[in-house]
Amino acid sequence: MIDEMEPAPKGTDYDLYFGPAHPGSGNFGVKLKVAGEIVVSARADPGYLHRGFEKLMEYRTPIQNAVLSDRLCVLEPLNWNLVHAEAVDELMDIDVPERAKYIRVIMAELSRIQSHIIWYGVFSLGTGFDTGFKMAFGYRDYILDLFELITGGRVYPAGYICPGGVRRDFPNGARDKILKVLDKMGEMIKLEELENPALGARAKGVGILKVKDAIRLGATGPVLRGSGMKTDVRKDEPYEIYDRLDFEVPVRKEGDAYARYWIGIEEMKQSIKIIKQALKELPEGEVIDPSWKKPKLSVKIPKGEVYVRNEVARGEAAVYMVGDGGSKPYRCKIRGPDFLHMIPVLEYLLKGAQIADVPAIYWSLNICPADMDR
Amino acid sequence: MKLRIIPKLFKNLFSKPMTVRFPHESIPIPEGYRGEHAYDMDKCISCGLCAKICPNRAIEMIEAPEDIKDRYPKTYPKIDLGKCCFCGLCEDICPKDSIELTKNFFLSTFDPTNVIKYPTPKVEEQVNG
Repeated sequence: MIDEMEPAPKGTDYDLYFGPAHPGSGNFGVKLKVAGEIVVSARADPGYLHRGFEKLMEYRTPIQNAVLSDRLCVLEPLNWNLVHAEAVDELMDIDVPERAKYIRVIMAELSRIQSHIIWYGVFSLGTGFDTGFKMAFGYRDYILDLFELITGGRVYPAGYICPGGVRRDFPNGARDKILKVLDKMGEMIKLEELENPALGARAKGVGILKVKDAIRLGATGPVLRGSGMKTDVRKDEPYEIYDRLDFEVPVRKEGDAYARYWIGIEEMKQSIKIIKQALKELPEGEVIDPSWKKPKLSVKIPKGEVYVRNEVARGEAAVYMVGDGGSKPYRCKIRGPDFLHMIPVLEYLLKGAQIADVPAIYWSLNICPADMDR
Repeated sequence: MKLRIIPKLFKNLFSKPMTVRFPHESIPIPEGYRGEHAYDMDKCISCGLCAKICPNRAIEMIEAPEDIKDRYPKTYPKIDLGKCCFCGLCEDICPKDSIELTKNFFLSTFDPTNVIKYPTPKVEEQVNG
Protein backbone atom coordinates (compact mmCIF):
# COMPACT_ATOMS: atom_id res chain seq x y z
CA MET A 1 0.00 0.00 0.00
CA ILE A 2 2.62 2.49 1.11
CA ASP A 3 5.24 1.20 -1.26
CA GLU A 4 3.14 2.13 -4.27
CA MET A 5 4.60 5.63 -4.29
CA GLU A 6 5.58 6.61 -7.80
CA PRO A 7 9.26 7.19 -8.49
CA ALA A 8 10.17 10.84 -8.19
CA PRO A 9 10.57 12.57 -11.53
CA LYS A 10 13.86 14.19 -12.38
CA GLY A 11 14.39 17.60 -10.90
CA THR A 12 13.34 18.60 -7.41
CA ASP A 13 10.93 15.85 -6.48
CA TYR A 14 12.10 13.55 -3.72
CA ASP A 15 10.73 10.96 -1.37
CA LEU A 16 11.53 11.99 2.17
CA TYR A 17 11.18 9.62 5.10
CA PHE A 18 10.33 11.29 8.40
CA GLY A 19 10.72 8.59 11.05
CA PRO A 20 10.42 5.90 12.34
CA ALA A 21 13.99 6.33 13.54
CA HIS A 22 13.84 10.12 13.56
CA PRO A 23 14.56 11.46 17.05
CA GLY A 24 11.46 13.61 16.95
CA SER A 25 8.94 11.20 15.57
CA GLY A 26 8.41 8.41 18.07
CA ASN A 27 7.88 4.89 16.76
CA PHE A 28 6.05 6.18 13.76
CA GLY A 29 6.96 7.29 10.29
CA VAL A 30 5.63 9.58 7.62
CA LYS A 31 6.59 9.13 4.01
CA LEU A 32 6.65 12.52 2.37
CA LYS A 33 6.81 13.35 -1.29
CA VAL A 34 8.38 16.74 -1.68
CA ALA A 35 8.78 19.12 -4.57
CA GLY A 36 11.44 21.59 -3.58
CA GLU A 37 10.44 22.83 -0.15
CA ILE A 38 6.78 21.90 -0.40
CA VAL A 39 5.26 18.60 0.69
CA VAL A 40 3.18 17.30 -2.19
CA SER A 41 1.71 14.31 -0.41
CA ALA A 42 2.19 12.47 2.88
CA ARG A 43 1.51 8.88 3.78
CA ALA A 44 1.48 7.77 7.40
CA ASP A 45 3.57 4.69 8.06
CA PRO A 46 2.20 3.09 11.21
CA GLY A 47 2.68 -0.31 12.77
CA TYR A 48 6.06 -0.08 14.50
CA LEU A 49 4.55 -0.31 17.98
CA HIS A 50 1.80 -2.84 17.43
CA ARG A 51 1.47 -5.17 20.41
CA GLY A 52 -1.96 -6.67 19.85
CA PHE A 53 -3.70 -5.33 22.95
CA GLU A 54 -7.19 -6.27 21.91
CA LYS A 55 -6.26 -9.92 21.50
CA LEU A 56 -4.10 -9.97 24.64
CA MET A 57 -7.02 -8.69 26.67
CA GLU A 58 -9.16 -11.62 25.62
CA TYR A 59 -6.75 -13.94 27.43
CA ARG A 60 -6.61 -12.10 30.72
CA THR A 61 -8.93 -11.50 33.64
CA PRO A 62 -10.04 -7.91 34.40
CA ILE A 63 -7.44 -7.32 37.12
CA GLN A 64 -4.65 -8.50 34.81
CA ASN A 65 -6.05 -6.32 32.05
CA ALA A 66 -5.93 -3.34 34.41
CA VAL A 67 -2.17 -3.83 34.63
CA LEU A 68 -1.96 -4.26 30.89
CA SER A 69 -3.97 -1.11 30.20
CA ASP A 70 -1.03 1.00 31.51
CA ARG A 71 0.83 0.20 28.37
CA LEU A 72 -1.81 1.64 26.08
CA CYS A 73 -0.19 5.01 26.35
CA VAL A 74 3.17 5.54 27.96
CA LEU A 75 2.54 9.18 28.63
CA GLU A 76 -0.75 8.92 30.49
CA PRO A 77 -1.24 5.38 31.80
CA LEU A 78 -3.63 6.41 34.57
CA ASN A 79 -6.18 7.81 32.15
CA TRP A 80 -6.19 4.54 30.25
CA ASN A 81 -6.48 2.63 33.51
CA LEU A 82 -9.57 4.67 34.20
CA VAL A 83 -11.26 3.93 30.86
CA HIS A 84 -10.70 0.21 31.27
CA ALA A 85 -11.78 0.17 34.91
CA GLU A 86 -14.97 2.06 34.09
CA ALA A 87 -15.86 -0.42 31.36
CA VAL A 88 -15.45 -3.34 33.76
CA ASP A 89 -17.34 -1.52 36.54
CA GLU A 90 -20.25 -0.89 34.24
CA LEU A 91 -20.31 -4.36 32.73
CA MET A 92 -20.06 -6.14 36.09
CA ASP A 93 -22.19 -3.60 37.94
CA ILE A 94 -19.63 -2.77 40.63
CA ASP A 95 -20.27 0.08 43.07
CA VAL A 96 -17.22 2.28 43.28
CA PRO A 97 -16.81 3.97 46.69
CA GLU A 98 -17.04 7.74 46.76
CA ARG A 99 -13.46 8.29 47.91
CA ALA A 100 -12.17 6.10 45.11
CA LYS A 101 -14.01 8.22 42.56
CA TYR A 102 -12.28 11.35 43.86
CA ILE A 103 -8.89 9.67 43.88
CA ARG A 104 -9.48 8.41 40.35
CA VAL A 105 -10.19 11.92 39.12
CA ILE A 106 -7.21 13.42 40.95
CA MET A 107 -4.87 10.82 39.50
CA ALA A 108 -6.34 11.10 36.01
CA GLU A 109 -5.90 14.86 36.03
CA LEU A 110 -2.32 14.60 37.32
CA SER A 111 -1.73 12.20 34.47
CA ARG A 112 -3.24 14.68 32.04
CA ILE A 113 -0.94 17.46 33.29
CA GLN A 114 2.03 15.16 32.96
CA SER A 115 1.06 14.24 29.42
CA HIS A 116 0.60 17.88 28.44
CA ILE A 117 4.01 18.71 29.91
CA ILE A 118 5.62 16.11 27.67
CA TRP A 119 3.65 17.49 24.78
CA TYR A 120 4.93 20.98 25.52
CA GLY A 121 8.45 19.58 25.78
CA VAL A 122 8.52 17.71 22.51
CA PHE A 123 6.65 20.47 20.71
CA SER A 124 9.33 22.92 21.85
CA LEU A 125 12.02 20.49 20.79
CA GLY A 126 10.42 20.04 17.39
CA THR A 127 10.27 23.78 16.84
CA GLY A 128 13.84 24.35 17.93
CA PHE A 129 13.21 25.77 21.39
CA ASP A 130 15.38 23.49 23.48
CA THR A 131 14.98 25.37 26.75
CA GLY A 132 11.27 24.51 26.76
CA PHE A 133 12.08 20.85 26.35
CA LYS A 134 14.53 20.80 29.26
CA MET A 135 12.19 22.80 31.45
CA ALA A 136 9.20 20.57 30.72
CA PHE A 137 11.03 17.35 31.46
CA GLY A 138 12.50 18.84 34.63
CA TYR A 139 9.09 19.81 35.98
CA ARG A 140 7.56 16.52 34.86
CA ASP A 141 9.72 14.77 37.42
CA TYR A 142 7.83 16.41 40.27
CA ILE A 143 4.68 14.63 39.09
CA LEU A 144 6.58 11.38 38.60
CA ASP A 145 7.74 11.63 42.22
CA LEU A 146 4.10 11.92 43.21
CA PHE A 147 3.20 8.85 41.19
CA GLU A 148 6.05 6.99 42.82
CA LEU A 149 4.74 7.90 46.26
CA ILE A 150 1.12 7.06 45.53
CA THR A 151 1.21 4.16 43.08
CA GLY A 152 4.66 2.70 43.75
CA GLY A 153 6.03 3.23 40.26
CA ARG A 154 7.24 6.33 38.48
CA VAL A 155 5.86 5.86 35.01
CA TYR A 156 3.68 2.76 35.11
CA PRO A 157 1.15 2.68 37.95
CA ALA A 158 0.44 -1.04 37.30
CA GLY A 159 -3.31 -0.83 37.23
CA TYR A 160 -3.56 1.66 40.09
CA ILE A 161 -7.07 2.50 38.95
CA CYS A 162 -8.52 -0.99 38.87
CA PRO A 163 -12.04 -2.39 38.64
CA GLY A 164 -13.83 -1.58 41.90
CA GLY A 165 -11.83 1.51 42.86
CA VAL A 166 -8.13 2.14 43.29
CA ARG A 167 -5.52 -0.31 44.51
CA ARG A 168 -4.07 1.78 47.34
CA ASP A 169 -5.22 4.68 49.43
CA PHE A 170 -3.25 7.93 49.48
CA PRO A 171 -0.29 7.55 51.86
CA ASN A 172 0.23 10.03 54.68
CA GLY A 173 1.22 13.44 53.49
CA ALA A 174 0.21 12.80 49.90
CA ARG A 175 -2.31 15.61 49.97
CA ASP A 176 0.22 18.25 50.98
CA LYS A 177 2.68 16.95 48.44
CA ILE A 178 0.10 17.15 45.65
CA LEU A 179 -0.64 20.76 46.58
CA LYS A 180 3.08 21.56 46.59
CA VAL A 181 3.54 19.98 43.18
CA LEU A 182 0.54 21.90 41.85
CA ASP A 183 2.24 25.14 42.94
CA LYS A 184 5.32 24.07 40.99
CA MET A 185 3.13 23.35 37.99
CA GLY A 186 1.61 26.81 38.25
CA GLU A 187 5.11 28.23 38.27
CA MET A 188 5.96 26.23 35.14
CA ILE A 189 2.80 27.30 33.32
CA LYS A 190 3.69 30.93 34.00
CA LEU A 191 7.03 30.33 32.31
CA GLU A 192 5.40 28.57 29.40
CA GLU A 193 2.94 31.36 28.91
CA LEU A 194 5.68 33.87 28.26
CA GLU A 195 5.38 34.12 24.57
CA ASN A 196 8.56 32.77 23.15
CA PRO A 197 9.27 34.47 19.82
CA ALA A 198 10.94 31.38 18.35
CA LEU A 199 8.05 29.11 19.20
CA GLY A 200 5.39 31.62 18.17
CA ALA A 201 7.01 32.27 14.82
CA ARG A 202 7.28 28.59 14.05
CA ALA A 203 3.76 27.68 15.14
CA LYS A 204 1.49 30.58 14.23
CA GLY A 205 -0.46 30.09 11.02
CA VAL A 206 1.02 26.65 10.47
CA GLY A 207 -1.07 23.53 9.88
CA ILE A 208 -4.46 25.17 9.85
CA LEU A 209 -7.29 22.72 10.41
CA LYS A 210 -10.78 24.11 9.88
CA VAL A 211 -13.51 22.87 12.12
CA LYS A 212 -15.38 21.29 9.20
CA ASP A 213 -12.35 19.26 8.21
CA ALA A 214 -11.60 18.39 11.83
CA ILE A 215 -15.04 16.84 12.22
CA ARG A 216 -14.87 15.14 8.83
CA LEU A 217 -11.49 13.58 9.64
CA GLY A 218 -12.57 12.45 13.09
CA ALA A 219 -10.44 14.70 15.27
CA THR A 220 -11.30 14.86 18.97
CA GLY A 221 -9.95 16.50 22.09
CA PRO A 222 -7.47 19.38 21.94
CA VAL A 223 -7.21 19.18 18.16
CA LEU A 224 -10.94 19.70 17.70
CA ARG A 225 -11.06 22.35 20.43
CA GLY A 226 -8.14 24.14 18.79
CA SER A 227 -10.24 24.37 15.64
CA GLY A 228 -13.10 26.07 17.43
CA MET A 229 -15.51 23.36 18.54
CA LYS A 230 -16.42 23.30 22.20
CA THR A 231 -16.50 19.64 23.07
CA ASP A 232 -15.23 17.67 26.03
CA VAL A 233 -16.48 14.29 27.21
CA ARG A 234 -15.97 15.44 30.79
CA LYS A 235 -18.65 18.10 30.20
CA ASP A 236 -20.83 16.43 27.58
CA GLU A 237 -21.14 13.04 29.23
CA PRO A 238 -19.69 13.41 32.74
CA TYR A 239 -18.15 10.33 34.29
CA GLU A 240 -16.93 9.79 37.86
CA ILE A 241 -17.37 13.14 39.66
CA TYR A 242 -16.80 15.57 36.81
CA ASP A 243 -20.40 16.80 36.96
CA ARG A 244 -19.76 18.17 40.47
CA LEU A 245 -16.61 20.03 39.54
CA ASP A 246 -16.32 23.51 38.19
CA PHE A 247 -14.01 23.85 35.23
CA GLU A 248 -13.97 25.36 31.78
CA VAL A 249 -13.30 23.97 28.35
CA PRO A 250 -10.74 26.11 26.54
CA VAL A 251 -11.51 26.72 22.88
CA ARG A 252 -9.57 28.57 20.24
CA LYS A 253 -10.82 29.38 16.76
CA GLU A 254 -7.64 29.65 14.69
CA GLY A 255 -7.03 25.92 14.23
CA ASP A 256 -3.28 26.32 13.74
CA ALA A 257 -0.42 24.70 15.62
CA TYR A 258 -0.19 27.64 18.00
CA ALA A 259 -3.87 27.34 18.92
CA ARG A 260 -3.40 23.68 19.78
CA TYR A 261 -0.35 24.56 21.87
CA TRP A 262 -2.37 27.22 23.67
CA ILE A 263 -5.14 24.70 24.40
CA GLY A 264 -2.57 22.44 26.06
CA ILE A 265 -1.42 25.21 28.40
CA GLU A 266 -5.00 26.22 29.27
CA GLU A 267 -5.97 22.62 29.96
CA MET A 268 -3.15 22.28 32.43
CA LYS A 269 -4.56 25.27 34.33
CA GLN A 270 -8.02 23.71 34.33
CA SER A 271 -6.59 20.39 35.55
CA ILE A 272 -4.92 22.17 38.47
CA LYS A 273 -8.28 23.75 39.28
CA ILE A 274 -10.00 20.36 39.17
CA ILE A 275 -7.44 18.68 41.42
CA LYS A 276 -7.64 21.47 44.00
CA GLN A 277 -11.44 21.16 44.13
CA ALA A 278 -11.34 17.38 44.36
CA LEU A 279 -8.73 17.48 47.13
CA LYS A 280 -10.88 19.94 49.06
CA GLU A 281 -13.94 17.71 48.91
CA LEU A 282 -12.10 14.37 49.23
CA PRO A 283 -14.29 12.25 51.53
CA GLU A 284 -13.12 9.60 53.97
CA GLY A 285 -13.89 5.92 53.56
CA GLU A 286 -13.02 2.84 51.56
CA VAL A 287 -11.05 3.17 48.36
CA ILE A 288 -12.09 -0.11 46.78
CA ASP A 289 -15.17 -2.27 46.67
CA PRO A 290 -14.73 -4.78 49.56
CA SER A 291 -15.06 -7.81 47.29
CA TRP A 292 -12.19 -6.55 45.14
CA LYS A 293 -9.83 -5.80 48.02
CA LYS A 294 -7.76 -8.85 47.20
CA PRO A 295 -7.09 -9.11 43.48
CA LYS A 296 -9.79 -11.34 42.07
CA LEU A 297 -8.79 -14.29 39.95
CA SER A 298 -12.11 -15.97 39.35
CA VAL A 299 -14.69 -13.43 38.25
CA LYS A 300 -17.76 -13.82 36.16
CA ILE A 301 -18.21 -11.18 33.53
CA PRO A 302 -21.93 -11.25 32.75
CA LYS A 303 -23.27 -11.47 29.24
CA GLY A 304 -23.64 -8.06 27.70
CA GLU A 305 -21.72 -5.21 26.15
CA VAL A 306 -20.67 -1.73 27.21
CA TYR A 307 -19.18 1.26 25.48
CA VAL A 308 -17.41 3.68 27.79
CA ARG A 309 -15.81 6.89 26.62
CA ASN A 310 -13.50 9.22 28.46
CA GLU A 311 -11.55 12.35 27.77
CA VAL A 312 -7.85 11.55 27.87
CA ALA A 313 -5.16 14.17 27.26
CA ARG A 314 -5.11 13.51 23.52
CA GLY A 315 -8.81 13.29 22.82
CA GLU A 316 -11.59 10.84 23.20
CA ALA A 317 -10.72 7.34 24.37
CA ALA A 318 -13.22 4.52 24.49
CA VAL A 319 -13.45 0.88 25.43
CA TYR A 320 -16.06 -1.43 23.98
CA MET A 321 -16.24 -4.59 26.03
CA VAL A 322 -18.31 -7.70 25.49
CA GLY A 323 -18.77 -10.31 28.18
CA ASP A 324 -19.92 -13.88 27.58
CA GLY A 325 -20.28 -15.19 31.13
CA GLY A 326 -16.64 -16.28 31.48
CA SER A 327 -13.84 -14.81 33.54
CA LYS A 328 -12.25 -13.05 30.58
CA PRO A 329 -13.78 -10.48 28.26
CA TYR A 330 -15.00 -11.97 25.02
CA ARG A 331 -13.98 -8.88 23.09
CA CYS A 332 -12.33 -5.65 24.08
CA LYS A 333 -12.13 -3.01 21.40
CA ILE A 334 -10.10 0.08 22.23
CA ARG A 335 -10.60 3.37 20.51
CA GLY A 336 -7.52 5.53 20.75
CA PRO A 337 -7.78 9.19 19.79
CA ASP A 338 -4.46 9.11 18.00
CA PHE A 339 -5.42 6.71 15.25
CA LEU A 340 -7.41 9.43 13.55
CA HIS A 341 -5.01 12.21 14.49
CA MET A 342 -1.99 10.39 13.15
CA ILE A 343 -3.35 9.04 9.91
CA PRO A 344 -6.10 11.13 8.28
CA VAL A 345 -5.55 14.43 10.09
CA LEU A 346 -1.76 14.37 9.80
CA GLU A 347 -1.84 13.39 6.13
CA TYR A 348 -4.32 16.16 5.43
CA LEU A 349 -2.34 18.82 7.30
CA LEU A 350 1.04 17.91 5.83
CA LYS A 351 -0.17 18.21 2.27
CA GLY A 352 1.06 21.53 0.96
CA ALA A 353 3.13 22.37 4.04
CA GLN A 354 6.77 23.37 4.03
CA ILE A 355 9.33 20.77 5.07
CA ALA A 356 10.44 23.01 7.93
CA ASP A 357 6.88 23.06 9.28
CA VAL A 358 6.54 19.27 9.42
CA PRO A 359 7.75 18.90 13.04
CA ALA A 360 5.59 21.79 14.22
CA ILE A 361 2.48 20.26 12.65
CA TYR A 362 3.40 16.75 13.71
CA TRP A 363 3.88 17.60 17.37
CA SER A 364 1.08 20.12 17.63
CA LEU A 365 -1.34 17.19 17.24
CA ASN A 366 -0.06 15.78 20.56
CA ILE A 367 0.41 12.32 19.18
CA CYS A 368 1.53 9.13 20.83
CA PRO A 369 2.14 6.10 18.62
CA ALA A 370 1.47 3.73 21.51
CA ASP A 371 -2.31 4.09 21.57
CA MET A 372 -2.53 4.40 17.79
CA ASP A 373 -0.85 1.08 17.03
CA ARG A 374 -2.12 -0.59 20.21
CA MET B 1 9.70 42.06 27.42
CA LYS B 2 13.42 41.44 27.08
CA LEU B 3 14.11 42.77 30.58
CA ARG B 4 11.82 40.19 32.13
CA ILE B 5 14.62 37.70 31.80
CA ILE B 6 16.86 39.50 34.33
CA PRO B 7 15.06 38.65 37.61
CA LYS B 8 14.65 35.07 36.37
CA LEU B 9 18.33 34.94 35.55
CA PHE B 10 19.34 35.99 39.07
CA LYS B 11 16.86 33.56 40.59
CA ASN B 12 18.28 30.70 38.55
CA LEU B 13 21.85 31.67 39.41
CA PHE B 14 21.26 31.34 43.12
CA SER B 15 18.69 28.52 43.26
CA LYS B 16 19.44 24.83 43.68
CA PRO B 17 19.48 22.67 40.55
CA MET B 18 16.52 20.36 39.85
CA THR B 19 18.76 17.30 39.66
CA VAL B 20 20.85 15.54 42.31
CA ARG B 21 24.38 14.19 41.91
CA PHE B 22 23.17 10.67 41.56
CA PRO B 23 25.81 8.17 42.68
CA HIS B 24 26.69 10.35 45.68
CA GLU B 25 23.17 11.32 46.69
CA SER B 26 19.80 10.12 45.53
CA ILE B 27 16.14 10.94 45.93
CA PRO B 28 14.69 8.82 48.76
CA ILE B 29 12.52 5.94 47.59
CA PRO B 30 9.05 6.10 49.20
CA GLU B 31 7.39 3.28 51.10
CA GLY B 32 5.38 0.99 48.90
CA TYR B 33 7.75 1.20 45.97
CA ARG B 34 7.44 -1.77 43.66
CA GLY B 35 10.96 -3.13 43.20
CA GLU B 36 12.70 -6.48 43.45
CA HIS B 37 10.83 -9.28 45.24
CA ALA B 38 11.70 -10.53 48.68
CA TYR B 39 10.43 -14.06 49.09
CA ASP B 40 10.06 -15.93 52.36
CA MET B 41 9.99 -19.67 51.69
CA ASP B 42 8.96 -20.58 55.24
CA LYS B 43 5.75 -18.58 55.09
CA CYS B 44 4.78 -19.97 51.67
CA ILE B 45 1.93 -22.49 51.60
CA SER B 46 2.40 -23.37 47.93
CA CYS B 47 -1.06 -22.25 46.93
CA GLY B 48 0.20 -21.07 43.55
CA LEU B 49 -2.03 -17.99 43.46
CA CYS B 50 0.93 -15.75 42.58
CA ALA B 51 1.70 -17.87 39.54
CA LYS B 52 -1.92 -17.82 38.47
CA ILE B 53 -2.41 -14.05 38.74
CA CYS B 54 0.90 -12.98 37.23
CA PRO B 55 -0.10 -11.15 34.02
CA ASN B 56 3.26 -11.84 32.39
CA ARG B 57 3.61 -15.42 33.59
CA ALA B 58 6.88 -14.51 35.26
CA ILE B 59 6.20 -16.83 38.20
CA GLU B 60 6.37 -20.58 37.85
CA MET B 61 5.83 -23.11 40.65
CA ILE B 62 8.81 -25.48 40.84
CA GLU B 63 10.12 -28.02 43.30
CA ALA B 64 12.70 -27.04 45.89
CA PRO B 65 16.39 -27.94 45.25
CA GLU B 66 17.43 -31.52 46.09
CA ASP B 67 19.39 -30.73 49.27
CA ILE B 68 16.46 -29.07 51.05
CA LYS B 69 13.72 -31.16 49.48
CA ASP B 70 13.03 -33.11 52.66
CA ARG B 71 12.21 -29.90 54.52
CA TYR B 72 10.38 -28.24 51.64
CA PRO B 73 8.46 -30.98 49.85
CA LYS B 74 5.98 -28.83 47.92
CA THR B 75 6.33 -26.52 44.96
CA TYR B 76 7.56 -22.94 45.30
CA PRO B 77 7.56 -19.89 43.05
CA LYS B 78 10.46 -19.25 40.72
CA ILE B 79 10.41 -15.58 39.75
CA ASP B 80 11.79 -14.44 36.41
CA LEU B 81 12.57 -10.76 36.87
CA GLY B 82 13.19 -10.45 33.16
CA LYS B 83 9.53 -11.09 32.47
CA CYS B 84 8.20 -9.30 35.56
CA CYS B 85 6.37 -5.99 35.10
CA PHE B 86 6.48 -5.17 38.84
CA CYS B 87 2.74 -4.75 39.13
CA GLY B 88 2.64 -6.14 42.66
CA LEU B 89 -0.38 -8.38 42.10
CA CYS B 90 1.54 -11.36 43.53
CA GLU B 91 2.20 -9.34 46.69
CA ASP B 92 -1.45 -8.32 46.96
CA ILE B 93 -2.90 -11.78 46.40
CA CYS B 94 -0.49 -13.74 48.64
CA PRO B 95 -2.56 -14.94 51.61
CA LYS B 96 0.50 -15.34 53.88
CA ASP B 97 2.50 -12.23 52.83
CA SER B 98 5.29 -14.46 51.69
CA ILE B 99 6.12 -12.32 48.63
CA GLU B 100 6.90 -8.66 49.14
CA LEU B 101 8.19 -6.05 46.75
CA THR B 102 11.19 -4.20 48.13
CA LYS B 103 12.71 -0.85 47.30
CA ASN B 104 15.59 -2.33 45.33
CA PHE B 105 15.50 -1.10 41.77
CA PHE B 106 19.13 -1.75 40.79
CA LEU B 107 18.36 -4.78 38.71
CA SER B 108 20.43 -4.35 35.59
CA THR B 109 22.94 -7.13 35.08
CA PHE B 110 25.28 -8.55 32.46
CA ASP B 111 24.48 -12.13 33.46
CA PRO B 112 21.04 -13.29 32.29
CA THR B 113 20.92 -16.09 34.87
CA ASN B 114 20.93 -13.50 37.67
CA VAL B 115 17.45 -12.33 36.82
CA ILE B 116 15.82 -15.62 37.77
CA LYS B 117 15.10 -15.99 41.47
CA TYR B 118 14.97 -19.66 42.50
CA PRO B 119 13.24 -20.64 45.73
CA THR B 120 15.85 -20.55 48.48
CA PRO B 121 15.22 -20.46 52.21
CA LYS B 122 15.90 -16.96 53.50
CA VAL B 123 17.85 -17.48 56.72
CA GLU B 124 19.35 -20.92 56.13
CA GLU B 125 21.25 -19.78 53.09
CA GLN B 126 23.13 -17.15 55.07
CA VAL B 127 24.02 -19.60 57.82
CA ASN B 128 25.31 -22.28 55.47
CA GLY B 129 27.33 -20.15 53.19
